[in-house]
Amino acid sequence: MLSVILQQGINGIVVGGLYVLVALGLTLIYGVLVQINFAHADFVTLGAFAAYFVAQLLSGNYFVGIAVALIVGGVLGWLINAAIFAPLRQRGSELLPLIATIGVSIMLQNAMLLLFGPIPYAFNTPYSSKVIHIGSLFFTLQNLLIILVSTTTIALLYAFMKFTFLGKALRAVSQDHETAALMGINPNFLIMLTFIIASALAGMSGALLGPVLVLTPFAGTSVIVKAFAIVIIGGFGNVEGTIIAGLIVGLIESYTTQFLDPGLIDIVVFALLLIMLAVRPTGLIAEKRAENV
Amino acid sequence: MSDLPRIKSSRPAPAQRFITSRRLCFLVAAITIALLPLVFPSSYWRTNLIVCAINVLLTIGLDFVLGYAGQLNLGQSAFYGIGAYASTLLIMKLAVPFWVAFAVAVLISGIAGALLSLLAVRLRGHYLAIASLGFAVITYQILLNWISLTQGPLGIYAIAPPPPIRLPWLPAIVFTNLTKLLVYLILDQLVRSPIGETLTAIREDELSAASLGIDAPKWKAFAFAVSSAVAGAAGCFYASFVGTLVPDSFFITESFSMLAMVIVGGMGTLIGPVFGAICLTILPELLRGIGDLRLIVYGAAVTLVVLFMPGGLVQAIRIMAHHVFAAGAKFEARL
Repeated sequence: MLSVILQQGINGIVVGGLYVLVALGLTLIYGVLVQINFAHADFVTLGAFAAYFVAQLLSGNYFVGIAVALIVGGVLGWLINAAIFAPLRQRGSELLPLIATIGVSIMLQNAMLLLFGPIPYAFNTPYSSKVIHIGSLFFTLQNLLIILVSTTTIALLYAFMKFTFLGKALRAVSQDHETAALMGINPNFLIMLTFIIASALAGMSGALLGPVLVLTPFAGTSVIVKAFAIVIIGGFGNVEGTIIAGLIVGLIESYTTQFLDPGLIDIVVFALLLIMLAVRPTGLIAEKRAENV
Repeated sequence: MSDLPRIKSSRPAPAQRFITSRRLCFLVAAITIALLPLVFPSSYWRTNLIVCAINVLLTIGLDFVLGYAGQLNLGQSAFYGIGAYASTLLIMKLAVPFWVAFAVAVLISGIAGALLSLLAVRLRGHYLAIASLGFAVITYQILLNWISLTQGPLGIYAIAPPPPIRLPWLPAIVFTNLTKLLVYLILDQLVRSPIGETLTAIREDELSAASLGIDAPKWKAFAFAVSSAVAGAAGCFYASFVGTLVPDSFFITESFSMLAMVIVGGMGTLIGPVFGAICLTILPELLRGIGDLRLIVYGAAVTLVVLFMPGGLVQAIRIMAHHVFAAGAKFEARL
């Protein structure tokens, strides 16, 4: 029994780590812009497909695939900022950018459906078949790789935000655009940078999720709803809260699969979300922000 | 107030007033609907027009809460599904008459909407959008997994159509469209009443509205309840006219389609979503050849309208009418 709990714990942390990467992108963008990119999860799917085609079909290395997914995500982030968020920023509407990106998401998903078809792709990396045994526990090399990459990325991102000049500038912009601009920081540049970083993270997590997930054009939808749940449970705009919430959701997912029913995952996660919204809408760790709640 | 001079000069003559009046518009709409079965004898187009009427119901319901109260409700697909399943299960399992089931289904969806709104009472904007999306996901999963009740992904088949009202000349197509017109009339009266202004005040600035003594949570719950009750009514019609129910008809993408119709038509006007729903329902049928491109067109339409014409079709029509009138005036001046 204990080994089952531990085993599912590992699986939960693997998935949770990836959700954290996706949700961190959302939370970073929300931090600087107080806006939501609904198409964020489709960047995850596109990253997964990019990695798949590079690694499987062009017989490239899986790591080349991850790098390509990172770049694809970054370019998409730059594009969506330039095409949607920058032009709509002047209008100052709260909901219009969200609605516009819902449109982008519908477009991307159905374009992928047209290009790649509805049949799930089998994304096998050289690492997904190698199994490591520790006592009664086992995990694939792919899982180990996911844990390693996601922890490293999260640590790097955290260090970037805390210690580098750009990271500090970014936090300054998320606290107050105008004052940051007065200090000689260009908010527009930093918003663009945030979009590129956030979306590159999404693309990369797609490359890592691809072998774990059922890879279809609609894979993003199931990820985005959980990523939303994570950012709200963790506290929108808060990095630490997002990390904790991501791991919690990953663990809920694996334990629900084990002890209840896989069909109930979304219900449990969203029930938690709705309870959280009713009880503590600022999230686990509240950002000092009065809007929305 | 009584000693203020009334401005009479700007009021048009009674006959002219009648031509531009809303009553005439409704009359024309009612006559058009009555003529529909004569114009479209094929059952293919009749089915399409019924679907169209259901979509109009859904979109004006959504527009009431989004365009007037300013609350982005992405849970509309859930209320649609609740209405459909509640009425069908009442009819099939408890043998309740259609109209009783209809009333109960509308009531249940309305209450569900009000409850969601009360749960999310402290939320605005993005948080509300995501909470309602979460509600839609949960509802979809319940419909899918509660197999003993909903038969899950297998679906419910052979749902009886609603009993004909004892008027032989009232086919389904007229019936649904008349319901649509009736709901439109009710919502139209609502947004023109002080309630409409109250909701607009909340949309524009909740704090200022509160300072005027408006109880925002109460009115938001009201808007949610009205909108979800309308969606429930649409769901009830959907179940009985289509005859089969599967949870996939009420997936969250359905909410996005409704949103697309509202945005393309022009949110914040009741007539806009009607245009939007008709266009986005009929156009894909006319463009059968494009098949899979249908949803890509939906997505592109939403994005482009938000970017370049936030007023939607209504704004486009107004601009065109303005140009036509301006050109006409120039032409007259030249004569």
